[in-house]
Amino acid sequence: MGRGLRIVHYLNQFFGGIGGEDKAMLGPEIKDGAVGPGIAVQNTLKDRGEIVATVICGDNYIAERIDEATQEVIQLLTPYQPDVVITGPAFNAGRYGVACGAVCQAVQEKLGIPAVTGMYEENPGVDLYRRHLYIVKTADSARGMTEAVSKMVNLACKLATDQEIGKPDEEGYIPRGILKEEFSDRTAAQRVVDMLLAKLQGKPFETELHLPEFSRIRPPAALKTLSSSKIALATDGGLVPKGNPDKIEMSAATKYGRYTIKGADRLDPKDYEVVHVGYDSSLVSRDPHRLVPLDVMRDLEKEAVIGKVCESFYSTTGVATTLENSRKIGQGMAEQLKSEGVDGVILTST
Amino acid sequence: MKLELDILNIKDVQFAEKTTISDVVLYINRQELQELLEKDKRFSKVDIELVHPGESCRLVQVFDVTEPRAKMGGTGENFPGILGRLKTAGEGRTRVLRGAAVVTIDYNSGASGLVIDISGPGADIGIYGKLQNIILLCRPVDGIARPDYQNALRIAGLKAAVYLAEAAKDLRADEIEVYNIGPLAEAGNGMEHLPRVAYVYQIHALQLSAEQPPNEPIFYGDNVAKLLPTIVHPNEVLDGAITRGYFCQGQETYSIQNHPIVRELYNRHGKELCFVGVVITVAQSTEPERERSAAMAAKLVKSVLGADGAILTKIGGGAPHIDLAQTCELCEELGVKTAVIVADQSTDGTSDGALIFNTPQADAIVNVGGFCRTFTLPPVERVVGGPLILDGNRPAEGEVKLMANRLGGPVSQIGALKVTEREF
Repeated sequence: MGRGLRIVHYLNQFFGGIGGEDKAMLGPEIKDGAVGPGIAVQNTLKDRGEIVATVICGDNYIAERIDEATQEVIQLLTPYQPDVVITGPAFNAGRYGVACGAVCQAVQEKLGIPAVTGMYEENPGVDLYRRHLYIVKTADSARGMTEAVSKMVNLACKLATDQEIGKPDEEGYIPRGILKEEFSDRTAAQRVVDMLLAKLQGKPFETELHLPEFSRIRPPAALKTLSSSKIALATDGGLVPKGNPDKIEMSAATKYGRYTIKGADRLDPKDYEVVHVGYDSSLVSRDPHRLVPLDVMRDLEKEAVIGKVCESFYSTTGVATTLENSRKIGQGMAEQLKSEGVDGVILTST
Repeated sequence: MKLELDILNIKDVQFAEKTTISDVVLYINRQELQELLEKDKRFSKVDIELVHPGESCRLVQVFDVTEPRAKMGGTGENFPGILGRLKTAGEGRTRVLRGAAVVTIDYNSGASGLVIDISGPGADIGIYGKLQNIILLCRPVDGIARPDYQNALRIAGLKAAVYLAEAAKDLRADEIEVYNIGPLAEAGNGMEHLPRVAYVYQIHALQLSAEQPPNEPIFYGDNVAKLLPTIVHPNEVLDGAITRGYFCQGQETYSIQNHPIVRELYNRHGKELCFVGVVITVAQSTEPERERSAAMAAKLVKSVLGADGAILTKIGGGAPHIDLAQTCELCEELGVKTAVIVADQSTDGTSDGALIFNTPQADAIVNVGGFCRTFTLPPVERVVGGPLILDGNRPAEGEVKLMANRLGGPVSQIGALKVTEREF
C-alpha cells in the first residue's frame, strides 16, 4: 500500500474565501489543507490523495507581475513536496484563468511534476496555455464546479501515476494541438461527401481540422517622409550568398541570415543561390533582384525617393516552417532591424 | 456519357509463355513485354519484376503506378492525347484488371522518387501493398535529357497497362461497373429535389515548375501550365483523360483511374445528391494567376453548373492550400456550400501548422493525415528499382525513416484512405 498523492491546490482571493475585487491585490499566501473548492476536490479524491496545502493569491497581484508572482507561488508550495498541483477551476474568469495557467506551467517546468487546471473554453488562459497543459473544459461559472472537479481530479491522479491519458472528449480536457494518426470507419472521400451533405441540409457536422488562430498584428502607421527613411529588404524566398554560410534549412527553417550589401550596386547571380524547396526558384537564381529588388532600391536611392537602403538584407526560407519558428525568426529580424535604425521594410515572399 | 468498366479480378501474377489471364491469375510473357517497351530508344534496357502482396519488399524511386486498362471493341482510345490519338475519354467499354498495378521506376529521380513498401507500416495504410505489382525497370540511355526520360517512363507505364489489359479482351468480366450521367446540362432532370453537387479537382500544382514547366502529359497530353479552370464530365477522369504530373504528391495515376471522390459522388447520384460535374483546376504560382483561377472555378461551379455545394481537393504541398482556400471562399461568397480535403502540413505535429490558410468559410475540412509525419520502415529482404540508396546514403534494404510525402500510398489527397488525425 503506497501513500496517497500529495496535492497542492491554487485558488484566487475570491474562491480562497478572502474577499472580492477589493482583495485582488493580495500577495500569495499558503494554508495547510483544503479551502473552498478544495473541499470538493478532497471529497472526489477520497483516499487517492490529500490536499496538503492551498495557495491563495489575488488576481491583480499575479496578473501585474506574472513571472515574479508565479515564482513566489512556487517557493511557497515547494516545501510541501506535492506529487501534483491543481489550480482553479477558473471558469470564465480571465485573470484567474491566466494565473492558473501560469502557475501550472511553472510547476511543470520548475518542479518537474504534473499540474492540471480547468477553464471555460473562451477563457483567455486557454489560448495561452492549452498547448502546455491539460486544461479541463468547464462551464462558464461555478455552477459547473462538481463536474469540473471530478474531471480535474481524475486527470491529476492519472498524470501523477503515469497512466495513459485518453482522448480529449473522453477525459474532458481541451485539445492541446497535438495531432495523432487515427483511423476512421469511412474513407476521406465518403467523409467529405457526408460532411457536405450535412452542411447543405443544415445538420451538424464536425470539421477534422480547426483553422489556426493567428495573433493580429496592427500595422504601424505609414512612413511620413520616405525621402529621409532607411529602408531594408527582407524575404522568405531563401536567397543566400553562395555556399549558404548560415546553413539555413531548405525547408522548415529555424533561423534567418543577414547579408551585407554595403556598397553593392547590384546582386550578382554568381554570388547568390536559393535554398527553398517550395517554389520554382530558377528565375531568382538567374536574377536575384526579382526576389530582393536591390536594383530598383538603388535607383530610388539615387533619385532621393528613399533616404537610404539598409546595408544588409535579411533572408530566411518560408516553407513548412513551424509557427513557433516563424515567430522567433520574425522577432529576431524585427529587433535587429530596429537596432540598425531601419524605418521601413519591404518583405518579399514567394 | 456512358462508361462501362469490365472488371477482371486479379489475385496473382506470374511469368509464363503467353500473356493471358486464367482463373484470376495474370500470366505475363516477360520477354514480349520487355521487347515492346524496348522499342522506345530512350531506354537502354528494360526489365520486368513481379512483386506480390505482403512480400518483404521495397520499391525505390517509383515514378508512377497505373492500373492495367484497355478500351474494348473500338469504343475509344487508350489514354487519349498521351498514348492514343485524341478522342474524348469516358465513353464505351474499358477492360480493367482489378488487383494489379504497373509500377514504373525512375532511375534519375534522385530524392524525388517515391518509395513504396509492400508490407509493414508503409503498406498497411495505403493500397499498393495489397496489389499484384508488375514493376517496369526502364533504364535511360546515356545522356538523355530529364524530360525525355520522364516522358518515356510515362508512355511505358501506360503502354504496359494497355498491353496487359488487352490480354483479357476475350474473357468475360467478373463484374461490370456502369458510370452513366447524360449531358451535364441535363444532369438534374428528375432530381430537382436533390442538392446539386460539383467537384473542384485541383489536378496539378505548378509550385515547383512555374518558370519552365516540363512538357508533361497530364490532361489529354497537355501539361496544364496554361490551363484555366475547365469543366469535364466525371467519366473523363475515370477513363484516362488525366494522368499524374511528374512531381505530384499524394496522387498516382492509379488513384485517378479509381478516383475516390468521383466514384463516391456517382454512388450517391440520384439518391442523396445530383452530381453536376467536375471542374479541373491547377494550383498556380503567382497571386494574379491564383485569383483568376479561383474566380473562374467558383463561377463555373455557381453560374454554369448551378451547384448548391462543392467538394474541393488539392494536390502538391503547402502552397496549393491557398488556391484551395481562395476557391472555397469565393464559392461560399456566391452561396455555394463547400467541404474540402487537405493533408496536414505541419512539420512539428501540431494543429498550428496543419493549415496554411485561415479562411473562415473553410469550416468543413477532412484531414487525410500528416504529410510530414515520419514513417520508420523496417528492413526488407528485397529491394526493387533505383540505385540501392535512399536519403542520407542508407542502404535501401535497411531500416529507413522517411516522411509521408516521400512514400507512395499513405497519403491520398483525393480521399482514397481511412486514415485521419485527432487532436490530443
